[in-house]
Amino acid sequence: MTYMDVPDKKVTVKEAYDDLLRRSLSKIRGDMARLIYLASTRDYNTGKYQHDGLAARFQAEIAGQALEMAHREIFHRLAACSLQELVGEVEIYVSSSRQSREEILEVWQKLEPYRVALPVDVNVAAAQLFVSNVKLALAILCLRQQLEAMETSAS
Amino acid sequence: MIGSASLVAGAVLLLLLLAVVTKGWLAARQLQDVAPASREEDAMEPCAQEVVSRIFSRADWEFVRGLKAGRIERLFEQERKRVALVWVRQTSATIRKVMREHAQAARQSANLNFSTEINIFAQFLTLMAVCGTLSIAIQITGPVWLGGLAHYAQRLSQQVTKLQESFHAGSLAKAEGTGRG
Repeated sequence: MTYMDVPDKKVTVKEAYDDLLRRSLSKIRGDMARLIYLASTRDYNTGKYQHDGLAARFQAEIAGQALEMAHREIFHRLAACSLQELVGEVEIYVSSSRQSREEILEVWQKLEPYRVALPVDVNVAAAQLFVSNVKLALAILCLRQQLEAMETSAS
Repeated sequence: MIGSASLVAGAVLLLLLLAVVTKGWLAARQLQDVAPASREEDAMEPCAQEVVSRIFSRADWEFVRGLKAGRIERLFEQERKRVALVWVRQTSATIRKVMREHAQAARQSANLNFSTEINIFAQFLTLMAVCGTLSIAIQITGPVWLGGLAHYAQRLSQQVTKLQESFHAGSLAKAEGTGRG
């Protein structure tokens, strides 16, 4: 095998990343839902990302790196977005879920599952800002829900 | 009469200042329990400029104020204050680490440039003073009005880190040159 036959690893990870965006992530509505999806592809015990379809088209290691890359990118986007935009993202996630809106808002406030959705070794301040903003977004959505309920009962 | 009135006013001001400093110190201690310093120092990623802008964002505060809900406003103030203090502690911890590494490298270096050393040390002291001021100011006013000072601290921190990196690269190049010669 000559050096020309050795695939460029970075190009391959980029290809896998583009494939992931095209086939999976573009079909998911909203960055918050994408973040939760990508975090769910990570093994709790090993911290490694797994995606059978992507691993079949590329290699398991390359697929893992592409998933991690996408996870970090979406996290950074959400961490730096405005609070108003984040409220919109959480709203999209809640409204596109099968569970009832009230149930999700209540469970998310109690269990704070979004804390598990952080990529590993991200900047501490960025992680804290994200968690804090999601907490605020949930409080705002709960407030809106209460106001809507009051308006409905009044009319 | 005027003398005793100004004395009383001075004493009141001093007491207020002490109360603020104590509050800041207590908050910093509480924060240390929540986020250990080693984790902040070992942070793999530097804090992005957009994140700093967001922590000290006035637009977010205006959005929250527009909701006209006191509970949410209080939660926002409390949360942003906490996150801003985490960032200040992280910046301060990172720069202390950079200075420790620099001191270690400088001890092993044969030919130090005096003006570069003075420059690095002056920037380090300025940054520490800015971080201290930010900690107290965040406690008093909240982070929303301190964006300018925070960006200044961020720039200064990047400058010190770059100076240390170029110093380190220069030392390595000289050592390699000496090794070959």
